[in-house]
Amino acid sequence: MTLNRKNAPAIIEIKSIKIKEAQENELANGIKLFSINASNEEVIKLDLVFDAGIKVQDYKSQANFTSKMLSEGTSKYSAAELAEKLDYFGAYFQTKSTTEEGIITLYCLNKHLNSCLPFIVEILTDSIFPKNDLDILKKNAIQNLKVNEERNSFLVRRSFNQAIFGGESIYGSYSTETDIELVSQDQVKVFYQNHYQKGIKYILVSGFVNNETIEIINSNFGTESFTKYNNLAYNYVGNEIKPTDLYINKSNSVQSAIRIGRRLFNRNHPDFREMQLLNLILGGYFGSRLMKNIREEKGLTYGIYSAIEAYPFDACWYIDTEMNNDLCETGITEIYKELDRLRTETIGEKELKTAKNYVLGSFLRSIDGPFSLADRFKILKDFDLEYSYFYEFIETIKNTTAERLKELANLYFKEQDLTRVVVGSK
Amino acid sequence: MANGLTVIHHFDDSTQLCVLNMLYNVGSKHENPDKTGFAHLFEHLMFGGSINIEEFDTVLQDASGESNAFTSNDITNYYLTLPANNIETGFWLESDRMLSLDFSQESLDIQRNVVIEEFKERYLNQPYGDVWLKILPLAYKIHPYNWPTIGKEISHIENATLEDVKSFFKNFYCPNNAVLVIAGNLDFDVCKVLVNKWFEPIPAQKIIKPIYEQEQKQTEARSETVYADVPLDMIVKAYHMPARTNEGYFAADMLTDILGSGKSSRFYTDLVKNKNLFSELDAYISGDVEAGLLMIEGKLSKGVSMETAENAILNTLNDFKTDGVSNSELTKIKNKSETNIRFNDMTVLNKAMKLAYAWVLGNIELVNTEADSYLKVTKTNIINMANQILIPTNCSTLYYLSKQNDTK
Repeated sequence: MTLNRKNAPAIIEIKSIKIKEAQENELANGIKLFSINASNEEVIKLDLVFDAGIKVQDYKSQANFTSKMLSEGTSKYSAAELAEKLDYFGAYFQTKSTTEEGIITLYCLNKHLNSCLPFIVEILTDSIFPKNDLDILKKNAIQNLKVNEERNSFLVRRSFNQAIFGGESIYGSYSTETDIELVSQDQVKVFYQNHYQKGIKYILVSGFVNNETIEIINSNFGTESFTKYNNLAYNYVGNEIKPTDLYINKSNSVQSAIRIGRRLFNRNHPDFREMQLLNLILGGYFGSRLMKNIREEKGLTYGIYSAIEAYPFDACWYIDTEMNNDLCETGITEIYKELDRLRTETIGEKELKTAKNYVLGSFLRSIDGPFSLADRFKILKDFDLEYSYFYEFIETIKNTTAERLKELANLYFKEQDLTRVVVGSK
Repeated sequence: MANGLTVIHHFDDSTQLCVLNMLYNVGSKHENPDKTGFAHLFEHLMFGGSINIEEFDTVLQDASGESNAFTSNDITNYYLTLPANNIETGFWLESDRMLSLDFSQESLDIQRNVVIEEFKERYLNQPYGDVWLKILPLAYKIHPYNWPTIGKEISHIENATLEDVKSFFKNFYCPNNAVLVIAGNLDFDVCKVLVNKWFEPIPAQKIIKPIYEQEQKQTEARSETVYADVPLDMIVKAYHMPARTNEGYFAADMLTDILGSGKSSRFYTDLVKNKNLFSELDAYISGDVEAGLLMIEGKLSKGVSMETAENAILNTLNDFKTDGVSNSELTKIKNKSETNIRFNDMTVLNKAMKLAYAWVLGNIELVNTEADSYLKVTKTNIINMANQILIPTNCSTLYYLSKQNDTK
């Protein structure tokens, strides 16, 4: 029997996808606990979510430094002792502040969960924010900012977000060295009291989760030391901003960083899901038009991609790449050519099919394992959606047509709506 | 298999996916010192179409799959993830590019450009991006670990010819120089049929492994000073350490955990927080198969002199050697290793890569004994390791100074 290698094996299309959903529980004090039990390994990821994002801060960097300072000491333990205690159990403790939320995350093995949580309780009830530790973190953050400001990729992102969202918007707001210097111990304490101690929005636990896990969480966070969070309204300020072209000169650059794009709508808009597919075809995967044309056919860059970044109150879409300073104009011309093709030509059947299959496969990968499932669930919470959103997403992708995508390209990929930022040297 | 291909099957029905991981036992250390960056350039060419398949990615994406690869000093590793019921497409793609690539001058020209852009983007156009280009030739005088996988210089990539590409393929990309791991929701019997169908017909090749000399023991401290357009001074210290197959490897790894990993590490608590001489200071190992490097690198706080900073590191090392490892430190790093291993083993892709790598090390059983190798290490092992390798004559130091400091 000779094998005919010209013949491709049959492809089975993904018909339906079943998503393992999060279970909802309530702790004794009413705090919502969502759990995703989907692991063979006895590991846990625990997220505590607070309404403590940039959106509720009164001063720049206030949310960020409060979050960073959560591991810097309580009246019982110094920063070093806290780190030592959690490290002792092999745990990883992280805090972060996003535009919308403050999130505390613990990674550990099930067998150590009960030993680790009391330290997090301690952090949430009795942090003291020592001034000396704050000063060191501020100094290091400023030095870090200086290093980042040497990266064209950082500069292009910052300028682009400022240009399309405006400095007023939480999505276009960046801290300067002065902003960081001005953060005070009092600001951090006040933010902690008002945004970490006024209630937990919800807790999300994923990994190997059983009744014992839930009982441990309940005994630590279900007490009267913690309260259920009451949702506060937030008025988002997003200005209409005219598209601009910006060139930022950074001498000694070998390459230029380029970002071209616009504000867009988020997941709550009916066109969002189809725009994800259109974006994918343009620059969202290795087989995208931008990758094929600009990297694989012309060798102009190591990487080029396009992406939609959706936030609860706003969104943007952009194309991003880095290429040689002298080839930059050629590259930009090609980018506009690809946008024009999407507006004027209908996407071929085969290309559309491949893109659809890829999206479905990538969705399947995005629900593989407990932490991926937790990330999916987080999206639903962030945008106030139900699991039906994902099932509808799959149906929409399957049913959309090339004509429809062309229509969308004409609506949202118009050249006159695009902002362009280039950081490099001429 | 008869053609020399090693095949490993790992079954896991908790996922709907299946992974094909193909590792070729060739890395940048097998390159000619005058033609470096070749293994990595070749990795790019592997996605440019094979003898019977014009577009690798289109076929894979059509089957809802995804793929990537990486090159290191020691190996080149390719992986595909597909819905388990489409895994045969993966077999088709992976076997066809092992059989033969669709060599073309055009594809080589383009990928050369892409890799040159990668060189610039990651090594030249980033603050501190060229640190490895500087430290490796300082630490290694003979061994081919003395250049990074991207290559010594751009001209080596520019000069690669189609003949070079063909002979590299013929010599290294054959079943008897590879291991294939299939991990995921695929039955052993089905897997066996697919492996035989697609890989059995591929003939073995004669492999000529380049012979390179081993590094001589370093006997005097080495250093180099460079000036660059960066905001902060940086210090990088590289110490030679044991190979992955040597028991000392685990002691060295744990040594870096105590010194410089996380907020309770000695470097962080003492030099970043208490004295604030550094804005960041880390210790880690390069993780190579052969004798590699234990690295200490840190960015100095503004206003701190290089001499003060370096002495502070050396004092911490000396204190450590004198004080020894505390019981709680030892428990801590053992617990950390256990956490790392357990979290890493959660996905079939990670498990597949780990199995393939264990084969390179000569024993796939290592995936099951890795945790024990860390648990076995004693306080004495760690201190002995520190005394043995953390000494000036075993160290290469790079002083990476800010030009900006100079002018201000």
